[in-house]
Amino acid sequence: MKKLISLAVASALTCGVALAKEIKVGALMPMTGTIAAYGQTANLGVELANKLQPKLKNGDTIKLVLLDNKGDKVETANGTTRLISSDKVVAILGPLTSSNTAQAISIAEKKHVPIVAPVATNDKLTTKREYANRVCFTDSFQGEVVANYAISQGYKSAVLLVDQAQVYSLGLAKAFQKAFKDKGGKLLKKIKITSGDKDFKAVVSQIKQLNPDFLFLPLYHPEASMIARQSKQLGLTKPMFSGDGVANQTFIDLGGDAVEGYMFTDFFDSTNPPSQTSADFVAFHEKETGKKEVNSFTALGADSYNILIDAMNRCEDPTDSVCVNKEIKKTKDFDGVSGKISIDKNGNAIRSAVIKEIKSGKAGYKATVNP
Amino acid sequence: MDILTFMQQMVNGFSLGSMYALIAIGYTMVYGVLRLINFAHGDIMMVGAFLGYTFMAVFNLPFSLTILLSVVFAALLGILMDKIAYKPLREAPRISLLITAIGISFFLENAFTVFAGGVPRAFPVPSYMENIFNVAGLTFSASSITVPIVTMILLLAILYVLYKTKYGMAIRALSFDIKTVNLMGVDANMIIAIVFGLGSALAAVGGIFWAVNYPSVEPMMGVLVGLKAFAAAVVGGIGSVTGAVIGGFIIGFTEVVVITFFPELGGYKDAFAFVFLILVLLFKPTGIMGEDLEKSRF
Repeated sequence: MKKLISLAVASALTCGVALAKEIKVGALMPMTGTIAAYGQTANLGVELANKLQPKLKNGDTIKLVLLDNKGDKVETANGTTRLISSDKVVAILGPLTSSNTAQAISIAEKKHVPIVAPVATNDKLTTKREYANRVCFTDSFQGEVVANYAISQGYKSAVLLVDQAQVYSLGLAKAFQKAFKDKGGKLLKKIKITSGDKDFKAVVSQIKQLNPDFLFLPLYHPEASMIARQSKQLGLTKPMFSGDGVANQTFIDLGGDAVEGYMFTDFFDSTNPPSQTSADFVAFHEKETGKKEVNSFTALGADSYNILIDAMNRCEDPTDSVCVNKEIKKTKDFDGVSGKISIDKNGNAIRSAVIKEIKSGKAGYKATVNP
Repeated sequence: MDILTFMQQMVNGFSLGSMYALIAIGYTMVYGVLRLINFAHGDIMMVGAFLGYTFMAVFNLPFSLTILLSVVFAALLGILMDKIAYKPLREAPRISLLITAIGISFFLENAFTVFAGGVPRAFPVPSYMENIFNVAGLTFSASSITVPIVTMILLLAILYVLYKTKYGMAIRALSFDIKTVNLMGVDANMIIAIVFGLGSALAAVGGIFWAVNYPSVEPMMGVLVGLKAFAAAVVGGIGSVTGAVIGGFIIGFTEVVVITFFPELGGYKDAFAFVFLILVLLFKPTGIMGEDLEKSRF
């Protein structure tokens, strides 16, 4: 009799195991290339969140499928197609920059696979798109935060440097330009650069002649750090401000002394975790990586994963992409690593921003700005 | 536009142009001898910068020793590249060589991505290179005047080797006719190896100075610089060493002039450099210093 019971229990157990499925979630990130720093920090967040919460409520396991898009649009298109058609993923996390995310969305939209973008801030990404979602703020919000700050500091004139090859940069520049003008600021010049440029001495010399109160550089760290360095060399000492595109340690490493006093908007500050969930993640991050400081991209990577899992848990069939997408858009006051996040019907996140300033080689917290 | 800003921009253009010039010399030399546009040249420059990074950041060697060692290693790499990839194709059509060069370029880029990772690393610039000088209202850093000086010295050295030494004579003879030179008792393969060694050594110097001026190293850093140096070599007259230097300055000044006079078009400065290339190819296909492509070199 005992034998029979244990046999029944054993078979029930095996049945249970066999029933729990493995569900694939795609992660498309630039793990190599010039913006690999973003991909690696964001993917760390996705992986840590997966370690903390590898299973759904119904016992299914989440398997992450990571693909490297090298920060390239063609690789992004190929990667998105591959994740959807051969790996059959339920949703895709990534692929970070706005240009690449727009590329991925245009493909995923047709296949009805939701994308949860951790850090793609361009305003237009989610317009007229059903399957595009994000956990970060948009550029119009970010641009307004910077413009408000500049005006409050009494800066009346600005020079804007825009990277014409990046959707992110163009969008953020436009948002700042509008907000700054509306508040009475004067834009002296808009100078265009292209990502990949290294020599900005000519640009810096031009800015020096224009003599603005304030410089806004909605760029990524490779270009922004070089501009800061060459500005110091040529004796241009104006306050410089960037968006979240420079929110990483690589920027400080590349910029060295020249980025002292440099300011930027960010999503999250690990020295001021906004909630218990956040503090727990910071602790887990330290345990796993040995580093106290959590990059905001890591926090947002984790949040994109967590919000997706939360939405999947609310669907009867978590592999049903259409239902998962609907549930993502119903996210209200989600207790995320990077703070409280709500997602509206367009897929945009409603959340706060923080302003940081680089002091003695560290990005220090300055203020939190609510929407 | 005041005169000071204009002069400052000229200083900027001079420092940028000399950097392109340094790398263009290597392109032009290999072309002169083998009629091969060595598209891996920009990546050799990247390898040079990484060698410099390794010696300085990892082994903490002084800057002078770093340059010396990087030059030696890059020269060896250039010779090795020739032995493995180009030597077996000496008799093959030129197009095979060109494709091989592109292959090596991709190989180097990807090999370094695997070993060094794709994240740019900060190059440890020696502090005296970051010294800033103010002369009559013009500002420049030590690094931005060192490069033109180094370029000039190296140009003179290369011209000396080409025109005053036995090896230089062999190189020039080789550029006319490889087969005949072989028959006359000169080891053509050795001379070609020397050319590759010299070219790669120059690329390494270029790479290290590039990294000093723009202190970050990453595996793709040689792609755009290589293309622009190639444009410089063609503008100056491919095959001519002096032409390469002149071409380098022209490309550098073109970029700066675009930003100075049309800041809104600053983002298209690369396009201007290549438009220049197309115009030269249309109206003077041999470039400024180049002679008939089928006749003499250097």
